[in-house]
Amino acid sequence: MYSEKVMEHFRNPRNQGKMENPDGTGVAGNPLCGDVMKFYIKVRNGTIVEAKWETFGCAAAIATSSALSEMVKGKTLEEALEIKREDVSSFLGGLPPIKEHCSNLAVDALRKAIKNYRERVKE
Amino acid sequence: MNPEKLREDFPILVNGLNGKPVIYFDNACVTLKPRQVIEAMNEYYENFPACHGRSSHKLGLKVTEEYEKSRKTVAEFIRAKKPAEIVFVRNTTEAINLVANSLELKKGDVVVTTDKEHNSNLVPWLFLEKRRGIKRRIVPWPEDGNLDDFTEAVKGATLVSIVHTSNLDGTSLPVKEIVKISHDAGALVLVDGAQSVPHKETDVRKLDVDFLAFSGHKMLGPSGIGCLYGRYELLERMEPFLVGGDTVDDTTYSSCRLSKPPEKFEAGLQNYAGAIGLAAAVKYLKRVGLERVEKHEKTLNRIITESLLQHEQISVIGPEDPDKRGGIFSFTIKGIHPHDISAFLDEENIFIRSGAHCVHSWFNSRGIEGSARASFYLYNTKEEAEKFIEAVEKIMKIFG
Ligand SMILES: Cc1ncc(COP(=O)(O)O)c(C=O)c1O
Ligand code: FES
Repeated sequence: MYSEKVMEHFRNPRNQGKMENPDGTGVAGNPLCGDVMKFYIKVRNGTIVEAKWETFGCAAAIATSSALSEMVKGKTLEEALEIKREDVSSFLGGLPPIKEHCSNLAVDALRKAIKNYRERVKE
Repeated sequence: MNPEKLREDFPILVNGLNGKPVIYFDNACVTLKPRQVIEAMNEYYENFPACHGRSSHKLGLKVTEEYEKSRKTVAEFIRAKKPAEIVFVRNTTEAINLVANSLELKKGDVVVTTDKEHNSNLVPWLFLEKRRGIKRRIVPWPEDGNLDDFTEAVKGATLVSIVHTSNLDGTSLPVKEIVKISHDAGALVLVDGAQSVPHKETDVRKLDVDFLAFSGHKMLGPSGIGCLYGRYELLERMEPFLVGGDTVDDTTYSSCRLSKPPEKFEAGLQNYAGAIGLAAAVKYLKRVGLERVEKHEKTLNRIITESLLQHEQISVIGPEDPDKRGGIFSFTIKGIHPHDISAFLDEENIFIRSGAHCVHSWFNSRGIEGSARASFYLYNTKEEAEKFIEAVEKIMKIFG
């Protein structure tokens, strides 16, 4: 059902867990399944230097967050905001159609974390 | 009972999907429909697609006759005293809402439920709490059969509204005893029979319930039709919830005269094909015999339970004894998300349900994210149970 790469990320998830003192935090819920994703980022000079995440979601949610947390490292906030669900899914070698909705979670949570960071900086 | 023979009546079991057989284990959600039900409904649409009651031409008369015959068939099925005690509604949810809105509960009135209710038997009371100030009491499920908590909770209650068989784990409440306790305390009893009426003989008079709600789509019938059984004296006293055409016998510009039950509660043109289809489903179930259906489901549940519970990563929700869980095997596998279990099985054309099964309150209070649920019916076979076991074991290998 899942690609080799999805299973590999599911078995060895990168950057999983809570982040102490994050610069931005975003939470996204998946209305279709009720699962929730939390994404944390650390930002230096407009660039994401570290990303971590937590979820109870399925293997697709875990693999997409794991992949996304690697993809965003070293990217500017603008670049990170341009990453789409499809980019993560193709990075992972595709997702089964009934699992595509799960890849929204990570991308949504990342965007919210960036928004949260920007709001905090403004204050 | 011969499931192999029964399967011939269910087109999707005969035809399969994408060239592969279908194993349908999501019966607690919706069951498949036999040919006989589909044909009965088509007969309405093809031969007398008119309105009941109002039109006195031949087609109208035929609809009235068939609609009322269906009501009688359903009434006899649950052993109601008379057909007029059956109100046709859309589904269990609507039946419960009808009672919630028509009983005229006031501020301070107490409604008792359990901690394992479907959202259909939780949310209506949450709203009445907010809107009218009713009080709610939630009784923990009596796992050991001890009803002391119920006895305590029903004191001074107006209504006890409980599920008969849980859609979460398949366990059943001793409804007859709870009704006795509740009536002794002066409370009315509404039973959510969505999961019990399709799977075991239900006798409203023996159970002595005041109201019983159930849905056609979970018992071989069409979707969009369900029933509220209510004791006639109670239905007579209650105000309707939806009003308009068909609920009244006469009107002036400033008044209306309400009809008798059940018409009083059936506002607007009704789902005639649905009622006729439900009656066909009831006849089908009667012919097979619910006692046999119940026994068959337990047999399948035993096969699956005994195999899968040998794996220590697998836990069943509810008691381990399959006889206590009827036709439901609700389970979790350590380290594998329930939606991954169902998605993997979907690839094998094995259809189950995963998630919170509309009992979010129960999962939330325990911090569990959900479960995977396989639920059985009369057309499922031992071979299907074996294939299911194999597939679940394969998932554990892949994700392990
Ligand atoms: C125990 C129980 N109650 C109520 C319902 C709601 O039924 P319906 O959606 O037909 O109104 C269900 C359906 O899943 C159920 O299992
Ligand atoms: S099923 Fe919920 S995130 Fe995939």
